[in-house]
Amino acid sequence: MWSKIIILIFAVLIASSINAQECDIKLSGYIYDAGTKEPLEFANVFIEEELSGSSSDDLGYFEVENVCAGHLHISFSHIGCESKMLHIDIESDTSIIFYLDHTDHVLHQVSISDKKSLTNTQFSETINKQYISDNAGDNLSDMVSVMPGVSSLKNGSSIAKPVVQGLYGNRLTILNNGVVQAGQQWGSDHSPEIDPLIADKISVIKGVNAITYLNGQLGAIVLVEPGKIDKDPHLHGKAQYFYESNGRSHGINAQLRKYSPNISWKLNGTLKRSGDNRSPDYFLRNTGAQEANLALQLEKDYSDNHSAQLYISTFNSELGVLRGSQIGNLTDLEQAIGRDVPFFTEEEFSYDISAPQQQVNHHLIKYSSQLFIDDHKWLKFNISGQYNVRKEFDVRRGGLSETPALSLVQTMGIIDLQYNHEYSESTFLKSGFQGSVINNTNNPETGILPLVPDYIAYNGGLYTTITKKTESLTLEAGLRYDLVTQNVAAISTSLPREIIRYDDVYHNISTSVGTIFQISEDLNLSLNTGYALRSPAINERFSFGLHQGVSGIEEGTIDLNSEASWKSSISLSNNAKSKLYVESIFYFHNINDYIYLQPQAEFQLTIRGAFPVFKYEQTDARIVGLDLYAKYEISPNIETAVTYSYINGTDRIQNNGLVFIPANNLTSQISYALVKPVMVFQKSIENLKFSIDNRFVFRKTGIDEDQDFLITPDAYNLISLDLSGDIQLKSTRLRLSLGIDNVANVKYRDYLNRLRYFSDDLGRNIKAGMSIRF
Amino acid sequence: MLKIKLFALLIVGLMITSCDKDDPEIPNEEELITTVILTLTTEDGSGDPVELTFTDLDGDGGAAPIIQTSALSANTVYRGSVAFLNELESPAEDITEEVIEEDLDHQVFYRSSVSGLNVSYDDNDSEGNPLGVSTMISTSSAGSGTLTITLRHEPNKDGDNVADGDITNAGGETDVEVTFNIDVE
Repeated sequence: MWSKIIILIFAVLIASSINAQECDIKLSGYIYDAGTKEPLEFANVFIEEELSGSSSDDLGYFEVENVCAGHLHISFSHIGCESKMLHIDIESDTSIIFYLDHTDHVLHQVSISDKKSLTNTQFSETINKQYISDNAGDNLSDMVSVMPGVSSLKNGSSIAKPVVQGLYGNRLTILNNGVVQAGQQWGSDHSPEIDPLIADKISVIKGVNAITYLNGQLGAIVLVEPGKIDKDPHLHGKAQYFYESNGRSHGINAQLRKYSPNISWKLNGTLKRSGDNRSPDYFLRNTGAQEANLALQLEKDYSDNHSAQLYISTFNSELGVLRGSQIGNLTDLEQAIGRDVPFFTEEEFSYDISAPQQQVNHHLIKYSSQLFIDDHKWLKFNISGQYNVRKEFDVRRGGLSETPALSLVQTMGIIDLQYNHEYSESTFLKSGFQGSVINNTNNPETGILPLVPDYIAYNGGLYTTITKKTESLTLEAGLRYDLVTQNVAAISTSLPREIIRYDDVYHNISTSVGTIFQISEDLNLSLNTGYALRSPAINERFSFGLHQGVSGIEEGTIDLNSEASWKSSISLSNNAKSKLYVESIFYFHNINDYIYLQPQAEFQLTIRGAFPVFKYEQTDARIVGLDLYAKYEISPNIETAVTYSYINGTDRIQNNGLVFIPANNLTSQISYALVKPVMVFQKSIENLKFSIDNRFVFRKTGIDEDQDFLITPDAYNLISLDLSGDIQLKSTRLRLSLGIDNVANVKYRDYLNRLRYFSDDLGRNIKAGMSIRF
Repeated sequence: MLKIKLFALLIVGLMITSCDKDDPEIPNEEELITTVILTLTTEDGSGDPVELTFTDLDGDGGAAPIIQTSALSANTVYRGSVAFLNELESPAEDITEEVIEEDLDHQVFYRSSVSGLNVSYDDNDSEGNPLGVSTMISTSSAGSGTLTITLRHEPNKDGDNVADGDITNAGGETDVEVTFNIDVE
């Protein structure tokens, strides 16, 4: 209802601003793909003030005649891109060039925040705003797991974290608007506290070593990037509603923005609520979730050379964990696992969330500024603070279910200063300093000895990278040093309870060399190799106690060595505008002293019975994999695509598999799109697209029986359907999407979901979304 | 701009001046059960009571638990009474009271591998289902084996055979599960 009112208000505003003026102006221009810089054919151009438009030809060229002078809002759209709006003042014939974020699979994409973009030899892949918006009901991890080589490690459907080329948790860094995500990123049952709907794009770097990022040693990074505010002096925004039948989930997202030379602002808010999910046969009790998030972005350009941004966000969630997945001891576990229907399953659906559950709040404030010293030298400065509160509730005796079993408060401060120098067209230097402090405190309200101790950790890092470009070759080399100190105050596990202090210092060095070589007009080859040290994390050294996330007692090992990682990758891709586009990345990763949780042969006897024990140990590991993406354009309407991820992790000492390495999977897609608008009930529907996805997940192999409670689940195949289209309504634009996941309601269990021990995975899910952009 | 500089200075200052992490507050482990005692007295009060104790003062992990048992007499009927204590508190907290208060949410199960050793419930919760704090335990001929005592939280008391003391379909979480070696002489 209120969206109608907003449309009305805008219609009135716009109508009143049109004066009788000269109306013989020609507006023309070219539309390009921002990723490949290739012309975009069949892009729709619509001038809202004129209610007229046209579309681009095979050169990306368009023209609209008889345009009146004045302020114009021009909307650009294309299949697979979120439509974008441009605001201009025209007085005479005008020509413009416009870029749309079209290609969602491009290697070597550079961060767009740089005023100067330079090719980077690290591999990265991106999902664009259209994809994010069409999948608004998904969490961050599920969104990125459409990319080859990316999977999701889960504890139910709402708690999920990304796995990139076999790396997750302490080995994966997530950047929220350029800030390393603080909080408890270690456990497999801790989801990153980020609302993906704040992002204009989400990228995954699958490099060997991300020298310029804090904790980027192993090269796996997820970047969640809200873009710059569009230069349009009027108030614009988007309102979106999304629904999912599985879990009866409802969500709304609203975005507002306004540019002003003085100060520009953007506001983004999300509310989500879901209840019990359903497997094909039964409800998964207590798997609901609630989220309320808000982000405010302020931008100011002091001059052409100096700009600044302030970003404040708050993320708040309450997540239920399947009631039948909490275990009391080994006997309980043995009874609970492998059951057809989990304990505590109810006939009725419910939105209620009770123990076991998690309540997480994450607040971020970030100030960043860019200063151009001259055209070839510039400085970037970031300072940020984060406040993370995590409370996890277990089912407990004596009314203690209301008292968290884990209650942690973490604050993190980061300073980041980067100097960029373009010596010539071909030589580029980036150098910087990063300092961070993490203060982690347990709240004693739990009445349980904390799983991870209180600590303060400092990190100081220095780095330099040099890029050299020639006609057919780009070379990049980088070096980084980090000083890490951990000051820990642990509570003794023996009696009498006392405080034991540890003060440790680690030196991490990382280095990488990379090159992109253009073999021919159509073929690019890229090679990367890097060496890095990663010092052990606090949880790996000091964990002690029952961890429901591993269904057992977790024990750290204090004197772990730093992991020494050596990764090489080779990528081959052809020109993205070809009818057949293929990109492939082969990687080979050796990690010596790889830290992992090893199940112990002996059970721990406690008053609650025996418990499985998992201890952090080290081994020499090897991860080898292949990420493949291929796309073939059968006709302008029909496109097929295939994504294949192969990965194999081996423990080179014990000669068995590494746990939590994803199973191989193959996704194929066929889509049919109408490149020209179709008329339905006198409304023109643009960008109408229908697609079918088939995802086959192979059975995980190479895991011995003594490495897991259950044998790995069977292979499974899921089919999903999607339909979407846009409707231009005067000055607003409506987008509708409809989809069905797991169409055949297949019963399956996924290796990377902890709930596979206790229940089937999600059954059929019908999704619907509606967004209105004004 | 000045504010930003001050903010930066504050962070830098914080990094330089901050030193050791403050002492954590040791949580009050009120929920912990450290001790289980099963006291067996004969029906007619003859002979010394038999006491089986399981003590693990430092909680999960750390030092191994201490288990003490003594022999039961053959062909005897005992009145059994189980007690759960938190001896980390001083004086020791009697958790049995809490179990009795929340009787609908608890049930104690007894499983024995000793032939002829039979445990039956001698108490009820407010809905008439067994609770298991008080029991009748009878022995027949001499023998040996184990006796496992399990305290379940939120069991499904309506599950098949749960009211008869069969834990198989009980579900819920285990608060206590201890096993004693038993000799019947």
